[in-house]
Amino acid sequence: MYRSIAEVPPGSQDLLADDVRRRRRVQAAWFSLAEQFGYSEVVPPTFEYEEVFTRGAGPGLADRLIRFVDRDGRRVALRADFTSAIARMAATKLRDAHLPIRLCYAGKVYRQESEGGARRRETFQLGAELIGDASPVADVEILRLAIRVLHDLGIRDFQINVGDVRFVRPLLDELSPLAAERLREAIDRKDRATLAAHAREAGTSEAVQRVLAELPTLIGRSVVLLRAAAVAADAGADEAIRSLQDCDALLTEQEKAHVVYDLGEVRGLGYYTGAQWEVFVAGVGRAVGFGGRYDGLLGLYGADRPAVGFALETDALADALPA
Amino acid sequence: MSRPLRIALPKGRMMDQALQLFEQLGHGIAPEDFASRRLVLPSTDGNFEFLPVKSADVPVYVESGVADAGVAGFDVLGEHGSDVLHPLDLRFGACVLAVAAREDAAYPILPGGGTPRVATKYTATSRRFFAARGLQVDLIRITGSVEIAPLVGLSHWIVDLVQTGRTLADNGLVVVDTVLESSARWIVNRASHKLRLREHERMIGLLEAAIS
Repeated sequence: MYRSIAEVPPGSQDLLADDVRRRRRVQAAWFSLAEQFGYSEVVPPTFEYEEVFTRGAGPGLADRLIRFVDRDGRRVALRADFTSAIARMAATKLRDAHLPIRLCYAGKVYRQESEGGARRRETFQLGAELIGDASPVADVEILRLAIRVLHDLGIRDFQINVGDVRFVRPLLDELSPLAAERLREAIDRKDRATLAAHAREAGTSEAVQRVLAELPTLIGRSVVLLRAAAVAADAGADEAIRSLQDCDALLTEQEKAHVVYDLGEVRGLGYYTGAQWEVFVAGVGRAVGFGGRYDGLLGLYGADRPAVGFALETDALADALPA
Repeated sequence: MSRPLRIALPKGRMMDQALQLFEQLGHGIAPEDFASRRLVLPSTDGNFEFLPVKSADVPVYVESGVADAGVAGFDVLGEHGSDVLHPLDLRFGACVLAVAAREDAAYPILPGGGTPRVATKYTATSRRFFAARGLQVDLIRITGSVEIAPLVGLSHWIVDLVQTGRTLADNGLVVVDTVLESSARWIVNRASHKLRLREHERMIGLLEAAIS
C-alpha cells in the first residue's frame, strides 16, 4: 500500500507566517505580564510517566493521553496538562524553595481527539501556578493574571465563571457511585427534570433536593453568593461561599465586570479542591481557559502544599485577537 | 446588540413541530420563507435565525457554537455523545429505539450458537445496550433502509427507530426489545449559555411553559 509522507497525521498541523506571529504576540504579552507579577518561566518535559497525568487529573484526562511504551516497558505520555507536570516539578525539584513559588509557562499540550470534531491533538497553552499560599489573595492574584492578559491582548468581551467544587461535592458524597455519576451528569447538562427525578430516586433528603433544584439558578454577580449561602449543604459549602466572598471583596470594579459566580458547574479536572473557573470569550463556542485551586496535587509527590493556577488556550486567543 | 440567537433544527417532521412551537411563542417565520429553500430562516420578529440541517448534524452545529441552541432527538444525542447542555425535554417527536427481527427469528440467543449480526445506524448506542445485557453481537453500520437487512440475510436483527411500527409490519418484522425511549430535546451550546444567560433562560422558561 502506498502511503504519502507529504501529509501530517490528523489533528497535527504546520504553522506558518501569520499563524506563528499571532501566537508569539500572545505569548510575548503573557510573559511580559507574568514577569511583572514575579513569575519565573519553567519548561516541563514533553513526555512523562503516564501516572503524572492519570493520578491527579482523573479519567477525563486519562482517557485522552497520547501514550507509548518506553524502553524499560514503563508507559509514558506526551504532556497533556502543564499543571500536573509543574506540580510534580515543584514538589520535587523545588521542595526546599522559599514559599510561595510563582511559576509560568507557554507551550504545547497533546491530547487524543477523535477525527471530524475540528479539534487538534496538539494545542498551545499558557498559564501560571502559585504554590504555597492557601489564601483568597492567591486565588485573586491568579484570576487577575488571567483577566489582565486578556485585557493586554485587546480582548474586551470575555467572562470568567467562578464556582467552587466544595459547594456541589457534599451533595453527591453520600450516594452510591452510580447514583452520584447520574446526578453529576444531570447537573452538568443542566437537565432539571432528570436532575429532580434522579435526586428523588437516589433517596436524597428534601434539603439536598432543594439545593439541587436551585443549582442551575445559582449563577450571576456577587448577590448570588448570598442566595447560595442560604442553601449551603454543609460546613465545606459554607467555607466555599465565604472564600468566594473574600475573593469578590479583593477584586476591583473593573475586574468584577468580567466575573460571574456560577455554583452549578461540575466541570474541570479531578484535582480541583476549591474555587475553580472557566473563561469564555464572545464568539468562541467553548471555554478558552480553566483554572482553580488544587491543594492536594503536590501531596501526591510527598510535599503537601496549597496551590492555585490557570491555563488559557493560546490558539483560541490568537484567533480572537483584534485585527 | 449581538446577533439573533441561532437555532439549529432537524429537517423533517420534528422541525415543523419546533417551528409551530416558536410560532405559538410569537417567534414564527414568514410563510414565504417556510416554502423557500433559504438556508437560514429568520423569525419575523428578528430575534431568532433558524438553521435547517440534517437531524444527526444538529448537535455538531450546537457544540461548535455556530448555533446557540437546537432541537435534537435524544437518540441522536446518545449516539454522538456531543458536549452540549440539554436543559429541556420538549416531549414531541416521541419514538422508540428498538431491536427488531423477523417474526420467526430467535432473540436474544441464536439456536445452535453463533454470534448474532445486528444492522443499525446507531452503533455506539447498540454497543452499550448489548454489552449491558451481556450479549455479544457483531454490529454492521448501515445508513438507511435498515429494515431490509434481516430480509436479505445481512443481519439477524436490526436496531432502529420505531414511530408507528407500520414500516416494520410491512416488512414482516416485529419489535423484540426496547433500547431507549426518545423525544425531542432542547440543546444549548455551553459557552453561549454562559455568555447570553438571560436570553437562554428566558427561552427555556417560555418553552417549558408552552409544552406543559
